[in-house]
Parts: sequence; structure tokens; C-alpha cells
Amino acid sequence: MTEPAIAVESLEKLFPAAHSGWRAFLQPFAAPTAVALAGVSLAVSEGEALALVGANGAGKSTLLRILATLLLPTRGHARVAGYDSARNSREVLRLLGYHAGSDLGFYARLTGRENLRFFGQLNHLAVMEIDRRIERLAGPLGLADALDRQARLLSTGTVQRLSLARALLHGPRVLLLDEPTRSLDALAAADFRRYLRREVVQRCATTLLFASHTLAEVEQLADRVAILDAGTLVALDTPTALRTKAGAATLEEALFHLTGRRYAQMEASGEES
Amino acid sequence: MSLRVLRELWLFFRRDFAIARTYRAPFILEVVEALFGAATFYYVARFVDSPGLSRALPQGGSYFAFALVGFAFFDYLNVALDTFDHSLEEARDTGTLEPLLVTQTSLSAILAGSAIYPFAATTVRVAVYLGWGAALFGFPLGAANWSAVIAVLVASMLAFSGLGIFSASYLLLFKRGNPAKWLVLGVSSVVSGMLFPVNILPGWLQFLAWLSPVTYALDAMREALLAGTRFGQLLRPLGALLLFAAVLLPVSILAFGWALRRTKTTGTLTHR
Repeated sequence: MTEPAIAVESLEKLFPAAHSGWRAFLQPFAAPTAVALAGVSLAVSEGEALALVGANGAGKSTLLRILATLLLPTRGHARVAGYDSARNSREVLRLLGYHAGSDLGFYARLTGRENLRFFGQLNHLAVMEIDRRIERLAGPLGLADALDRQARLLSTGTVQRLSLARALLHGPRVLLLDEPTRSLDALAAADFRRYLRREVVQRCATTLLFASHTLAEVEQLADRVAILDAGTLVALDTPTALRTKAGAATLEEALFHLTGRRYAQMEASGEES
Repeated sequence: MSLRVLRELWLFFRRDFAIARTYRAPFILEVVEALFGAATFYYVARFVDSPGLSRALPQGGSYFAFALVGFAFFDYLNVALDTFDHSLEEARDTGTLEPLLVTQTSLSAILAGSAIYPFAATTVRVAVYLGWGAALFGFPLGAANWSAVIAVLVASMLAFSGLGIFSASYLLLFKRGNPAKWLVLGVSSVVSGMLFPVNILPGWLQFLAWLSPVTYALDAMREALLAGTRFGQLLRPLGALLLFAAVLLPVSILAFGWALRRTKTTGTLTHR
């Protein structure tokens, strides 16, 4: 049996509560008590696109950051092509492209091209190959005018497109995107989604795991959708199946229904106890 | 060291050089500042120099040469203690820390690479200091043994870097500058022979002096630069510096790795 591209097993993540005053000094050693992920399990097959949806604080970014080796899980495992993100981070990083959704992350005094070259070379690509790939990505990501300007002069949306280009540059097998179109205008976002679906997922069979609050984007890109709520996986299925399961006309309605029902249950169980 | 690691280190140097090139004024100002620094030491030396003082200096010669070497090369400790902290803070503030950590380049290469340009810039700054000293105030460069100077420089940078990486580990965990860094700088400026010979200190401070890598570095640098001492005669201070490096570097890299794991556990990697 082949390994799934991404396998998450009973994943739990707890953070220490934030302290202030003199107790902040002990923060690095504080016991973790705040639950961000409460035993999430899911698998993503090679070439599949899975969307993570849920309210702010549902655990979407935490899950992506654990897979990207930027956080260590409290319990459970997160694997990329069979490699544990906590124990085999070097192997995992060889397979990953990660976009954090931030509009920071570049050297302000270097041009877009210089920034991409630097990060591409840190991923062990040759300069000529990087330049070839930059040219290939510049069109669909609308970066042509930005490549030779310093990053400090670029708009927020352009910096985000640059960050998406960086995540794609080394042709990763697994792509983790946190709110990939958050700062893009409607046309740029549509262009990027088309490129991602056709070129990255369908043509290159890249596995895509992305978090998004834009449900139209989720419907357009995702083969399946994982709904997270307060660190728990509430539902995982195709958009159509989720709509059917919730008896909803739209994914938005289904999301509301699936998480809302859960809130109602929690409230009920709280009243009983 | 593999070719790939050397290439990675070069990438960081090129990145920092490209960024520095976009700011031209600071370089010109530093050249002028070095002139004022050299002039200050020259006139202080003229005021205090005497045949008795020259005889009391370990390598003989003028107090001007002694003090200029001490002051200029002490800067390497400053840079070593600052550069890792500064790179980390800058990466955190510009949001480049996470993108760096998700590349295929190892943490040690990222750390070492971030220090190369600051050390190279310090070397240029020191050269400008000595250049002004030689051109205008008679600083004696004729006797220098340059291969020994380079060997002392490299050994000093390696030994000091361990202290700098410890400081960065502290910063990573506690988010604010390391008080031990200021203690190391303060104590070293008093006991390491920057502006006066170690042998004038009381016994217990002399003992402290020989526990600091800076003392060996300044002593060996004056020997190589002012007295032209041969490589073979510098084995003791060079050996001491390499011993400091052999202990401090791996332990500090382990400490940094531990601090990084801790911040990945607490989720505070990008916190300020």
C-alpha cells in the first residue's frame, strides 16, 4: 500500500497560556493548557486538493505549521510521504512548499527576483533553473513588473504573489497554503486559482492542502473539504457530499449547519452537566 | 565542510552584501569615524607615552599601536555577540525567519551564513582603522606576519561565535537581549587587555582574564601584527582559541537547537 502524501494521526496541539509581568519570563517553560488541535486525523492522497475550513482559531494554521515543521505536536503524528514532521524535518522540507499567508517574509532592499533567487538557492536549485522557473511563474502570478523592483516598493498583494511563487519555485510534491488569495484582488485570485488547479494539482499531481475562508475558492479548488471547529475535525468529505449531509444548498450553509449543530450539542451537554 | 555548505554560506554573504550595497552613506561615515578613532588614540598615546610605558608593554613599541590594535580587534567580540541576535531579530521582524526555516538549508548553515558578512565588514573596518593609523600616525605595519594575523583572526572569530550563538539562543527563548552578553562585553573590556596590559591587573582579575578568549586573541594579534611573531610561536594562544571554539561552538549550536525546539513547542517562534 502506498503512503498517503499527508497523513495526520490523532494530532493534538496545546499551547501554554500567555502570561504577562514577571511570569512572562517563565513563558518558555510554562505547561501547555490551551487546546489548538484536539486529536485530528485525516489523510490526503497524492495529487489531491484538500481544503481546511473553519472559524478563526479552529486550528487550520496550526495544522499547516505542524506539517511545515514550524511547530511540534503535543501528541500524535503529522507525516508527509511517510516522513514524520517532528522527527524527519529535513526529509519533509525536501518535499514541501509552504506559504504562510503573511504579507511579510522578504528582504525589503532586494528585488523580487533577488529574493526568489536567494530562497530558490537555499532549496538547492541552480540560478539558471531558478530564472527559468521564475519566468514560467511570472505570467500566471502577474509578477512580471515586480521582479526587478525592491520588495519594499511592492503592494501587499504583489508581495503575497511573490510568496506564492517562492512556495512553488522548487516544484514541491506537497504544497501547504495558508489563505493563499487573502490579499489578492478578485482577478488575480481567479487567475491564481486556475493556475493552481490546472498546472500545479492536475498537471504536476502536486498534493495541495490549503486553508481558506473563501468558500467559492474552496469549491473551485478542493476535491475534499475538512471542517475544523475548536481544534476538532467536524466533517471531511467532498463539497457535494457535505452539502448533502447537511441538507444545505451551499457550502457556506453546510459549514454553518455542521459547526452550528455541534455548538448546539455542546451547549446542551453543558446545561445537562 | 562540503561544497554545498560553502555555497550556502556564500549565498548569505551575497544576500547581506546586496542589502548593504543599497545603503551607501553608512560606509563612508564609518571610514570617517575610523579616522577620528585612530586620531583619538594617537593623541592619547602622545599624552601618556614614555620609554617606561613602552618597556612595560608586552610587545614593546608605542602605546598608540598597542591601544589601536586592542580597540580595533575588540570589535570582533562586539560583532560576534551582536550578529546572531541581530540576524534573528531582523528575520523575526521582517517575517523571513519562517521562510528560512522551511528551506532545505540546515540551521547551522543559516546561523553561520548570517555571521559571515558582519565579520567581513568588521575586517574591512579594522583594516580602515589600521590604514588611517599607518598613513597618518605612524602605526607600524612593516613587521606584521600576515599569515599569523589571518590565523589568529579565524580562530578568534570561531571562538567568539560560540558566545554569540548562546546569546541568540537566549533571545529566541526570552525575546529580549541577553544580560549575560553585556556582562561578557563589560568584563572582557576590563580584563582582556584591550587598552592596558593584563599583567597590571591584580592576581584574581588576571585569572579571570585567562578564562576569556578575548585575552588570547588580543595577545596573539599584537604578537603577529606588531612583533611579527612566527606562526610556530603562537601555538599556545591559537590552541587556546581553538579549544574555546571546539567547546563553545557545538554546545552553543545544541543550545540554539534546543531553544528552537522549545519555541516550536510553545508556538513562540515568531513572537517578539
